[in-house]
Amino acid sequence: MTAPGSSPLFSVSHGHKRTHAVQFSGGKLQYFRLWLVNMLLSIITLGIYSAWAKVRNNQYLYGHTQLEGYRLQYLARPGQILRGRLLALLIFAAYAVISGLNPTLSAVMTLLFLLAMPWLIIQGLKFTLRNTAYRNIRFSFQASYLSVLGHFLLLPLIGVFTLGLAMPWVVQRVQKFLYESAGYGGHRFALRSSAIEYYEAVLVCIAVIAFFAVIAVGLATGLTPVSPGSVSSHLDPQQLRPVIAVLPFAFFILSYLIAAIYLGMIRNHIFNRLQIPGLMRFHSSLKILPFAWLMLSNALLLIITLGLAFPVTRIRKYHFLAAATQVTLEPAIDRLTDTVDEQHSAFGEEAAGLFDVDLSLT
Amino acid sequence: MTACGPVKGIWQLARSAQVYKASVTISAQGMVQIHSEDDGSLLQETPFAAVSYGDVIPGLPVDLVFADSSRFIPLDSRFRWPGMSARRTLPAWLEEHWLALFAAVLLVPAFVWLMVTRVVPAGADLAAVWLPDSVGEELGQQSLTLLDASYMTPSALTGEQQQPIRQRWQQLLAQLQLNSDDYPLHFRRWNYGANAMALADGTIILTDDIVQLMARHPQQLDAVLLHELGHVEHKHGLKTLSRATAMSMLFAMMFGDIEGAGEMVLGLGTSFMQSAFSRDMEHEADHYALLSLQRLQRPGSDFADALLALQSSHETAVQECRGERSAEEKRAAGLFDYLRTHPDTSERIRIARNFSVPE
Repeated sequence: MTAPGSSPLFSVSHGHKRTHAVQFSGGKLQYFRLWLVNMLLSIITLGIYSAWAKVRNNQYLYGHTQLEGYRLQYLARPGQILRGRLLALLIFAAYAVISGLNPTLSAVMTLLFLLAMPWLIIQGLKFTLRNTAYRNIRFSFQASYLSVLGHFLLLPLIGVFTLGLAMPWVVQRVQKFLYESAGYGGHRFALRSSAIEYYEAVLVCIAVIAFFAVIAVGLATGLTPVSPGSVSSHLDPQQLRPVIAVLPFAFFILSYLIAAIYLGMIRNHIFNRLQIPGLMRFHSSLKILPFAWLMLSNALLLIITLGLAFPVTRIRKYHFLAAATQVTLEPAIDRLTDTVDEQHSAFGEEAAGLFDVDLSLT
Repeated sequence: MTACGPVKGIWQLARSAQVYKASVTISAQGMVQIHSEDDGSLLQETPFAAVSYGDVIPGLPVDLVFADSSRFIPLDSRFRWPGMSARRTLPAWLEEHWLALFAAVLLVPAFVWLMVTRVVPAGADLAAVWLPDSVGEELGQQSLTLLDASYMTPSALTGEQQQPIRQRWQQLLAQLQLNSDDYPLHFRRWNYGANAMALADGTIILTDDIVQLMARHPQQLDAVLLHELGHVEHKHGLKTLSRATAMSMLFAMMFGDIEGAGEMVLGLGTSFMQSAFSRDMEHEADHYALLSLQRLQRPGSDFADALLALQSSHETAVQECRGERSAEEKRAAGLFDYLRTHPDTSERIRIARNFSVPE
């Protein structure tokens, strides 16, 4: 039931429940050229082109992501993004000048900015999701100012006051809130995630760190012969040297392993509990070790090429994530119509276009 | 109108997940027709003027977008609609022409270099000159408050020690036909050695150490004061602020959207440019001091001697650091190294010595 990019599959008359893998058909060289041209034109035009660059970039990445032969669509127009950026730039310039001149005023502005933050987050997510469509039906985002304030300011405070003990629970609440504020064609997403899984992921990470710490200490002490008669386990710095030399590299590799364990476990959990009732159900089967290798090798590529390999690493990541993602589609999706447009005021859309704050959901 | 089709694909209804396997034909008369692939029935007929093409993205089919936002998507991702090659976009062209792309890769750094070293500083300086005086006053007062709150303590010098310096300063300003109210002189104590600084509002600060260092050579202190006066007269305080703002805005605009390379360039670029600006401004202030000395019929060697004295006092301070001081003090002395953001001192001394002597 699968076919490569150029000849997508269309089974027009579905009417039954089916499960498909997400396909990503972006090419490394092709995307590298697109990215390079985007960068050059953005620089030459002093950033004006970056709005067009963003649209082109997203059109490429979305368009090469297919489910059942239908491509994701990115619908934002460069003009909207440019307007938002120019406004943000003006505010930034005013802020920079004022904070250089008057600390009191700059404190006031910082406070105003903090107060506007939830609103900016909402508008940004609204803009991104409204301009994302699948089968000509748009996604959406709906949340109140207070609920965003609560999830992004108050909940993290609880995490801090409990010395981080509540943090996995806080992160679970925030992610659940974000996903469940999203919709598709007027239907809300539902995420039945559980904080227990978050704690589990953190505990596994701690266990792995402890395991490697024990190995490191064992190696260090194993290298030191304990002189007979001496009770002190004094370590000879000379013999510790090779261990210390290897330590930064081991730490570098370990950090990617830990990140892969946490991110992989959480992603699998979220996707396996995510659905749009009656329309779609998501599945994720990310394997931790290959994921860790992907992140580590991507980081090495970036370091070796001084960041120039960024487009290549992104394509690798998208291929990997798509291959680990499946979606079950219910028959109702074939009869779905978009009801969001009627509910949306023109003002909301304009305001959403003014600020294009990128805040990705994963 | 070039006739075209039938082109196979799917027709995606507007705001609906419903799709048809269909084919499109564009007639020579300019009519676009969509026929169902299943039974051949006519699904849609519209004049060509009412449809538009989607964007050309590598590896993706180009949609035909109808007025109601329904779209026809060709099966063949390489298929291009008639008349499309004429309206090829620059990005698409560049993506396919490697040679042009490589030429651009070479040209772009040159362009960035020109912007960063010439255009932006010139523009920012112009803005600084046009800013009202009240901005400079505000900025200077804030800096003084900040310095007093963090690094500086009241001077330990007695009034008798300060008085002759103030008098010489008044005389200097009078000789240069400048209003002495515009350049208030302050004495402060701090832990980072002999130094003098100018604030944006014309305030000039002398540290106790520099006063003691040059107590027996007042003409050296005069030269240092003239150097600081140069900073004020060239509005270096405001220029630093406006250049830094303009530069971070430029970098944010140009590289802000480029993930990967962006952050690295941003961080490195700004700090490199910051110290380059600072060195240029020191040269400018040096030049002002030397010109003023010439006007006052004094030798440029006054300034050269002052630089030498400062240099040796700082070298002693650094040696003391290496000897007895605590690690924290060493770090602080390193951070506030007077010479770091300044040009090479021996070069400055050479320029001062060779500056044409008044006849």
